[in-house]
Amino acid sequence: MAKRRVLPIVECTKLRKVFRTPKRSPGALGALRSLFSREYEERVAVDAVSFRLEPGELVGYIGPNGAGKSTTIKMLTGILVPTSGDVRVAGLVPWRQRKENARNIGVVFGQRSQLYWDLPLIESFELLRAIYGIRKERYRQNLDEFVEILRLNDFLRTPVRQLSLGQRMRGDFAAALLHGPSIVYLDEPTIGLDVVAKESIREFIARINAERGTTVVLTTHDLADVERLCRRIVLIDRGTLIYDGDVDRIKNEYGKFRTLIVRFSEPVAGPALEGAELVASEDSTARFRFNRNLQRADLLVRQASERYRVEDVSLEEPDLESIIRRIYVEGYRSTASENDA
Amino acid sequence: MRLEPYLEFAKKAFAREATYRMEVLTEIGALVLRVYILRSLWTALYAQNAAPINLPLHGMITYATVAMLMSLVLEVDGTRLIREKIREGTIATDLMKPISLPLYFFSDGIGQTLLHALLVVPSLFCALALVHIDVPPPPTIVAFAVSFAVGYGVNFFVNFLMNSIAFWTLETFAAQLIVRWASDLLSGQIIPLTLFPGIVGRIVFGLPFAAIYSTPLLIYVGVIPSSQWAAAIALQVGWLAVFALIASAVWRAASNRIVIQGG
Repeated sequence: MAKRRVLPIVECTKLRKVFRTPKRSPGALGALRSLFSREYEERVAVDAVSFRLEPGELVGYIGPNGAGKSTTIKMLTGILVPTSGDVRVAGLVPWRQRKENARNIGVVFGQRSQLYWDLPLIESFELLRAIYGIRKERYRQNLDEFVEILRLNDFLRTPVRQLSLGQRMRGDFAAALLHGPSIVYLDEPTIGLDVVAKESIREFIARINAERGTTVVLTTHDLADVERLCRRIVLIDRGTLIYDGDVDRIKNEYGKFRTLIVRFSEPVAGPALEGAELVASEDSTARFRFNRNLQRADLLVRQASERYRVEDVSLEEPDLESIIRRIYVEGYRSTASENDA
Repeated sequence: MRLEPYLEFAKKAFAREATYRMEVLTEIGALVLRVYILRSLWTALYAQNAAPINLPLHGMITYATVAMLMSLVLEVDGTRLIREKIREGTIATDLMKPISLPLYFFSDGIGQTLLHALLVVPSLFCALALVHIDVPPPPTIVAFAVSFAVGYGVNFFVNFLMNSIAFWTLETFAAQLIVRWASDLLSGQIIPLTLFPGIVGRIVFGLPFAAIYSTPLLIYVGVIPSSQWAAAIALQVGWLAVFALIASAVWRAASNRIVIQGG
């Protein structure tokens, strides 16, 4: 990958956040006691997290529940002060310059709406125009564009409380982007949506990233979102950063095994290929597993067609979901040793 | 600072309140009923010779009716948004906007208040049809309006402080009840503070609650003569300043707290 000399838009250096909560003893007596003597419990939510994003990147910020994702996002948006470490977004220190920082960012929460519940969708947009002081022409232009791409026209005048979840999310996306932020944080933006709605949201994310050059930080549990959208992921677990790099690389490191599916024109008893392991065979279809570092798919296909009468072949790539699941369970290991194994 | 967002907040709050039309109509109905009951009550009490100093029956009914109309505006808790947003956690989204939150709450409150102030007009006619109230000369009306406006400010900060308790406890119901009882009794909304005897009377006049209802009302009915208007209003302004200072200190502590705890 070519190294470009661009100033990072987001820069976290050894970011750390410790929460201090009063310790509560169980029972009524305990509650009474905690009224008088306060003992505190410390919980490290984010520990020594460092990463930097270049303008225009679309990064998946991934981790299991309670890993520290939201805490990081809150520090990036300026509503939470880091215990130690440095954070800079577009040159600003978010918690010190909360209002200035707010102008540069857009935020979408899948679980929570920033739209005015009782008012028609369009009135929430008007309010945001006033809040950010968006110039009239620019507002018109952005609004028209979003109404078209997100197909908001049918429910622009409907009170938000009457919208379906899919419609509300589309409204929330438009709301987060009306002022043309240079960076957006998306916190589980596709949660609870049906496949069609999910796809249209993904398309929209890809589009604003490509056309407007908006930097996108995507937090999600749906790894299909990541596979579809991100080239790079930052993985965090128990508050520490465990992986930062290309999606492809983690797939290569973890998903060494690909599957070749061969369909024969006639049933074959005990098919075999050199350099691949037969994992399943039924009727005229066989599944072979092979190590991508040791074996090339095209050579296997040639071998198969030389030995048998082949009707069709297909290749299954390891999916991110199963890889990430393994990392959550086993932890991330550097793969140099694994390649030798 | 740009005023536009805050004007817009006020407009939105106005529109939001207006969507609950039924509530608005029932409020007028309840008010008219209360005016009628109060008139009967005071008439009966005066028949028993319970006249407070300087206030004939007619003045008393005027006092009670005007107090009722004022409550249409003053009982709007414009800052209840604070505790709602804290409980729902939506305050985090607001903090991600380039706005001042206290000003946001204030302008939202103003929007709600304006809608309710509009209700005063039809209610006023209903009340006038039902009971005859005195209308003082224009200078008194002006002094009353000024004093009422200052009282509105004091009331806003009292509510603001009460709702800000939610930053620490999430639940503010008990505090609300206490403040409510205290202000009902001590602000002069239900009975004129001149009814409190001797030392108690001097204490209640010295409390900030008197700045909310009592001062404007006593100006209206003429118990506070024009020579004392300036002093009375100055005292109100003093309370306003004190509460504004406390509120801003509390807000600073509270916003640090959100920022530290994470909303």
